[in-house]
Amino acid sequence: MVILMKKFAYITGIFLCLGLLIALFIIIKLYNKPHVDVESTKADYIISIENIVREFEENEEIANKKYLDKIIQVEGNIIDITLTDGNGTITLDSKNSGKTVVCSMIASENIKVVGLQKGNKITVRGICTGYLMDVMLVRAIIVN
Amino acid sequence: MRFITLLFILITGLYVSAQEKYFTKQGYISFFSHTSVEDIKAENNQVLSIIDFSTGEIAITVLMKSFAFEKALMQEHFNENYVESDKYPKATFTGTIQNLKDILEGNNTIAEIKGKLTIKGITKIVTIESKTVIENDSITLKGKFMVTVADFNIKIPAIVRKNIAESVEVTFLLNHQPYKK
Repeated sequence: MVILMKKFAYITGIFLCLGLLIALFIIIKLYNKPHVDVESTKADYIISIENIVREFEENEEIANKKYLDKIIQVEGNIIDITLTDGNGTITLDSKNSGKTVVCSMIASENIKVVGLQKGNKITVRGICTGYLMDVMLVRAIIVN
Repeated sequence: MRFITLLFILITGLYVSAQEKYFTKQGYISFFSHTSVEDIKAENNQVLSIIDFSTGEIAITVLMKSFAFEKALMQEHFNENYVESDKYPKATFTGTIQNLKDILEGNNTIAEIKGKLTIKGITKIVTIESKTVIENDSITLKGKFMVTVADFNIKIPAIVRKNIAESVEVTFLLNHQPYKK
């Protein structure tokens, strides 16, 4: 009887330890959850700069509901490009419409950003964070 | 007399060059929370700031979702639970430089900006001190101030209360260029 009890306590102990380890593993995994990988994720919307900016201008609330946190892909001409303290920012315009998208590039794209200049036509994919004077994208990558 | 004329030209010259609007779309604002458990930092490089140097008025807008955290989980909690950025996507500051004359005349480089800070739909009156650098074609504001999290109805759950500071340090660097329409 005593041996059985001992065995029982032993097995419970092992299970408890295992449970704790698994819980710890899950917590660490959750804590270190990676950011959305824009590179390997398909765009939710492939849209022209003119159209997305117009949607925000017409009704920001509706556009916010539609586009916030979504992956947006746009194509345009570079009208401004800066790289300060490792943060690349590209402003894209289409057809000189005055409607622009500002893309904060992800740090791993810096090498590509350095090789670009004003006037280049590029396609960018990033996460939409909203609208100020422009539509804003973050964690953006250059598609081509 | 010559000295006075020179001084007059200098001052009016400064005024003329300053009586314009300056703005930036790529201002930098970060905030930093320090506790003994962990340090948390988030950075935003998409800050919109406009200064009207004829009146000393400043308007700053940031998108909450543009704050980038090192950990995706923190960013998620910040947006979904703490600032509810779907409901309140923007934080704003509108204020006036109180000592504009001193700044424009170059007697002082620390601007005292009093205004309204709105986060999560709640507005508080704050006074921010900012180092001000006026150059030919740019006006840079740089400084820090503290924000008390509870002032803006941001509730931190008990389980992470030790991880997040009661007041966070906000740092800003806004390099304004002349505003052209």
